[in-house]
Amino acid sequence: MPLDVAPVIRSYETQRTLNPPGIPALAPPPEGETEDIRRIAGRFGEDIPAAGLHHGNQVVYAQPGQLKALATFLRDDPQLQYETLIDVTSVDRSELPLDGEARFQTIYQFRSYSRNQHLTVVTDCRSGTEGNGTSPHVDSLTSVYRGAEWPEREVFDLMGIRFDGHPDPRRILMPKNWPNHPLQKQAPLGGEEVPFTFTWDDPEFDTLGTQILAAESVAPDLPPGMSRQNMVINMGPHHPSTHGVLRLVVELDGERVVSIDPDLGFLHSGFEKTGENKRYKDFVYYTDRMDYLSSMSNNLGYCLTVEQMLGLEIPERAQVIRVIMAEMQRIASHLFWLATHVLDVSGTGMSLLMYATRERERILDLFEMACGARLTVSYIRIGGVWQDLPDAFVAELKDFLRLMPQKISEYEAMVTEAPLWQERLKGVGHVSAEDALAMGLTGPMLRGSGVDWDLRRDRPYSGYEEYTFEVPTRDSGDCYGRFTLRLEEMRQSVRILEQAVDNLPSGLYRSNNRKVALPPRAELDVSMEALIHHFKLMTEGFHVEPGFFYHGIESSKGELGFFIYSDGSAKPYRLHVHGPSFNNLYAIDHISRGEMLSDVVTNIGSIDIVLGEVDR
Amino acid sequence: MGIEEKVPEGILTTSLDSVVNWGRANSTWPLLFGLACCAMEMIATGTARHDIARYGSELFRASPRQADLMIVSGRVSNKMAPVIKRIYDQMLAPKWVIAMGICASAGGPFNNYAIIQGVDKIIPVDVYVPGCPPRPESLLYAMDMLRAKQRRETIGAGRKVEEPLAVDEIMPLGV
Repeated sequence: MPLDVAPVIRSYETQRTLNPPGIPALAPPPEGETEDIRRIAGRFGEDIPAAGLHHGNQVVYAQPGQLKALATFLRDDPQLQYETLIDVTSVDRSELPLDGEARFQTIYQFRSYSRNQHLTVVTDCRSGTEGNGTSPHVDSLTSVYRGAEWPEREVFDLMGIRFDGHPDPRRILMPKNWPNHPLQKQAPLGGEEVPFTFTWDDPEFDTLGTQILAAESVAPDLPPGMSRQNMVINMGPHHPSTHGVLRLVVELDGERVVSIDPDLGFLHSGFEKTGENKRYKDFVYYTDRMDYLSSMSNNLGYCLTVEQMLGLEIPERAQVIRVIMAEMQRIASHLFWLATHVLDVSGTGMSLLMYATRERERILDLFEMACGARLTVSYIRIGGVWQDLPDAFVAELKDFLRLMPQKISEYEAMVTEAPLWQERLKGVGHVSAEDALAMGLTGPMLRGSGVDWDLRRDRPYSGYEEYTFEVPTRDSGDCYGRFTLRLEEMRQSVRILEQAVDNLPSGLYRSNNRKVALPPRAELDVSMEALIHHFKLMTEGFHVEPGFFYHGIESSKGELGFFIYSDGSAKPYRLHVHGPSFNNLYAIDHISRGEMLSDVVTNIGSIDIVLGEVDR
Repeated sequence: MGIEEKVPEGILTTSLDSVVNWGRANSTWPLLFGLACCAMEMIATGTARHDIARYGSELFRASPRQADLMIVSGRVSNKMAPVIKRIYDQMLAPKWVIAMGICASAGGPFNNYAIIQGVDKIIPVDVYVPGCPPRPESLLYAMDMLRAKQRRETIGAGRKVEEPLAVDEIMPLGV
């Protein structure tokens, strides 16, 4: 029996939720203006239908015909200098009350590092009838920002929007023979019927646990641009040093890499579609499973985005606990990166894996103290954190912080000065600052090329402005630079943790706003009102004002952004995750060209990818 | 007693099944194959604190030809399913499969278009481990259960397990 990939539509999935009057609604027009918006409006005039501030973000609506001109202006104008296109996403508005407006919109996030500005551009897609073909389409920005290539492929794959002028318009995540574009609203969520008493007669359950499917594989194509004159080899998805299920098609001339075509999607889990079908509070648990090496950062990024859409104030103690958790997670994630990087490069160096995971286990123990879980924590919730820190936590953390700096020096003593290690890393995987900006790289990949940017310092959230820490940068732009940079980042995280743990305020660990955050368990026994709030939050959830918002945080891998389009109901209408690994992995082709095949392994380790986040 | 009284000192007699199963159960080499979150716990099981080497399973082999055990550690997507099926087919018999975590066992929280609802749809599974992700201790317990299963196998025709085993029978709790 072949693997049946066509999703089944079931009646209960098409039932609409009960909504208050006026909901669902479109996002309201932006209000107010800023210097940048005046500048853009002055240049484009009537071609900008609306511009202003929305949830504090600068938003510009552009006509589809002017999109490319606008992007070029944003990049090249000396007063704007938006060097980087951070993210491309899209929304299918077919379930919203449209009044002749376009069904599909694409949404772009631009960032100016030199001026510390963020700008969102929204464009209606041309409908299929206006051009050739039937799917909606819009101009590609790959000729302006190189890094748009993969995000645009992702939008095409999941939403079915074609990009005119895109150099490589293939699917990127789903198999090439997939029948639909899953994020379009008419595409069902899919999945399987769950056996309950009322579904027990479903014939699907007759074969439950007994079926063995053929799972026939589709013969792979030669990626465009590759020549059979050279040797084309396949690396992954089952390979010890691809850090998960990544497949690289490598074109080799002898031992030298000519080009690399990464094949993604072997861990595509439909996070974004699932998010559209979950209430806001229920998606926190899914964020754990995206970048499973930094669950706390994922929780934090998602909760901050929702909280800012709600305009929710977070108590001070919760803020500090969040910073403690996020920084511990950064250390844990970097420790795991270090362990696997050394293992990959050396091939046999198990000792650093054992040492680094020894310290990581201590961090996981601390997580377990706080929330009972080691890996998928779901500790940071909308409105604060799940529960207060236990009494023994602070002493244990202080003990760990005393230990950690000398352990980092121990790792350094093992590898940093080792001649073989330097031989394998120095000058390998070089990326210049201009290329890093053009490709939309973030995090250590960007700082390793000399761009001094850290969201914690430059666009602070969760009270990071109150901590003293340095943002390390390296000008070398190679794997060795990124290696020493991450070690230094661990030291800085220890520094932040020391400040946070010394100044841990007392007070609430979760917001007192009962419309959003659950009341403490003890209150349910004594207060009827608390019981009602609890029931309402658990059954219905809370509603978020119509609108959209993008917010990025500095995760261990780079900028982790969440984009939420709300229609006013209790579930996100569209939820998009900008995973830093996804954009950083785009660089693998660029930085590996001309190098040896064994350097590809070094480069993968140096980019520090997590496939759960790349494929989502 | 019996024949051992007649043969020189130092010689024991046993059944061939017992010897082979003893060897298999104490050196089950897993495939170096991680899928998602559970793979992190699988690696943690292999490192110093949990030390899977105590059970003779520390040698994670990257080649399916050298591996006896496939630990499916994470969610199986539609794109990955043919690959897993092929890797399983490449492993040499006798071979065993542990479905680690709820995603590999039954799809877990990802009941959607992308994820296969349990790896048992494409390959036979010997031990299911609940958890999201299971702790390293759970995986070690699963390996205990697998060893109990391995000890009851026969190298004779069909390699069939004699009868279905109850959980208490395999590994009574508290042992």
